[in-house]
Amino acid sequence: MKETPQELRVRKRMLPGAITLNGFIGKDKRSLNTIIAADEQELEALGFSPEDIADRMQYFTDASFSTFDGFIVIDGIYKVETEVVRGKLPCPYAHGGLYRKAVTKITNTEKNISLSWTSLNIHLIKDHHFFEGKGSMYRLEPSILVKALY
Amino acid sequence: MIFVILKDIAILSAISTILALVMVLAQRWLSNYGTCKIDINGKRDVSVIGGSSLLSSLSEKQIFLPSACGGRGSCAACKCKVLSGGGPVLPTERPLLSKEELSAGNIRLACQVKVKSDISIEIPSSIFNIRRYHATIAEIIDYTYDIKGITFKFDDGEKIDFLAGQYVQLETEPYPEMKQRVVRAYSISSKPEINDALQLIIRYVPDGICTTWVHKYLKVGDKVSLTGPYGDFYLRETDADIIFVAGGSGKAPIKSILEHLQIVGTTRKMTYFFGARTVRDLYLTDEFKALEDVFPDFKYEPVLSQPDPNDNWSGKTGFVMPYFKETIRDPKNTEAYLCGSPGMINAVTKALMENGLAKEKIYYDSFG
Repeated sequence: MKETPQELRVRKRMLPGAITLNGFIGKDKRSLNTIIAADEQELEALGFSPEDIADRMQYFTDASFSTFDGFIVIDGIYKVETEVVRGKLPCPYAHGGLYRKAVTKITNTEKNISLSWTSLNIHLIKDHHFFEGKGSMYRLEPSILVKALY
Repeated sequence: MIFVILKDIAILSAISTILALVMVLAQRWLSNYGTCKIDINGKRDVSVIGGSSLLSSLSEKQIFLPSACGGRGSCAACKCKVLSGGGPVLPTERPLLSKEELSAGNIRLACQVKVKSDISIEIPSSIFNIRRYHATIAEIIDYTYDIKGITFKFDDGEKIDFLAGQYVQLETEPYPEMKQRVVRAYSISSKPEINDALQLIIRYVPDGICTTWVHKYLKVGDKVSLTGPYGDFYLRETDADIIFVAGGSGKAPIKSILEHLQIVGTTRKMTYFFGARTVRDLYLTDEFKALEDVFPDFKYEPVLSQPDPNDNWSGKTGFVMPYFKETIRDPKNTEAYLCGSPGMINAVTKALMENGLAKEKIYYDSFG
């Protein structure tokens, strides 16, 4: 799929060293639209929307964020902790707004699945349906997210 | 036929050249804003060549507004009051301004405002103390597996004047994975009485541009640049009791404050709760414990939230909040200084207020 000049600008901001050290694309050669479309399709087949997933992620992040330090157990299944470091990051889509440098780690102890996401991941999924490119440090596979979060 | 083609090419080339010339001239004459005057606080003005951002124009004149994103319009640290000459608020600024700031109409991001005519601004007078420093790395200490203490020795006899608790902005140098420079804020961990050098305590953040540079590439002898001092987190000169709460690299400003108090002397009752997970997250413990013999009424309390059984930890455990009650003797005459994540700041502030501390006496430097 051919990328528009706007998409090319976004892709440039997603490259390593622009906003984060490792970027958001990984080794994925596909266009942003192709990556997004494939993940949307996968998620739809599982009966979820990106907004559903992002809201669920935000719920866990907010719950763990309220603690002083360390993890909390939610619903007896989810072991969740969020670590915040100094600073904020802009979205590569450059629409303004800043996102905390916070990493949430979750373990679904029933299914033995562990995942990590950032505050920016939640925004990228909710507002741009972007789960990051394959091989990216914070790439989230839709099917694994569904398994871990529900 | 060839002649016609050549003629067309010549005509097209001539038109292109003329258009390019027109554009160059337009750029030169229409975008030439000449010399513009920046009036600062109605007390001082500087003359700059128009066309650049307010942030960089001020920076050229050695006036450094805080900026953590290098002028890319994403950190909002360079907000200032533009009284006249700044033009309308731009779409790039709107998402970073609050409703109150938007309705006031004169709070702007200095990195987005272009200086095209005379302009009048208001900035805190403390900004005039902010300078750019060139320094050489004098020492790097591994405090823990992910925290380093780095000492910067200023070049050419430069000296810094700061308050214990303030921070500086460190500018990275390009390194193999990162070609461009970024700027990041770190609290000063050394005492202000040493003014020809300073120390920063920096924790490694995976995927972090600056901390990767610091932890993997920076070495003794390297030349770096930083600006400062910034911030309103500093010790208030009262006789109130003090509770410090900070873990990880949040120890930096508290270390600066305590080392400063060691020089100037104090009789204030002080307790420092250092929250960490396990023994391997503790550092400078002996040095801080030794301060109990230096100050007449000081206690250093490391508190581990998840001590490893192999640590054989016999100190305080859990979170720091339950220990406040036994520590606070007069909540009306107690101040607190906190440094760390927003979650920690919120939880500790709530607990301190439940123990009777006034919100306005709780000072914090939040990471979020």
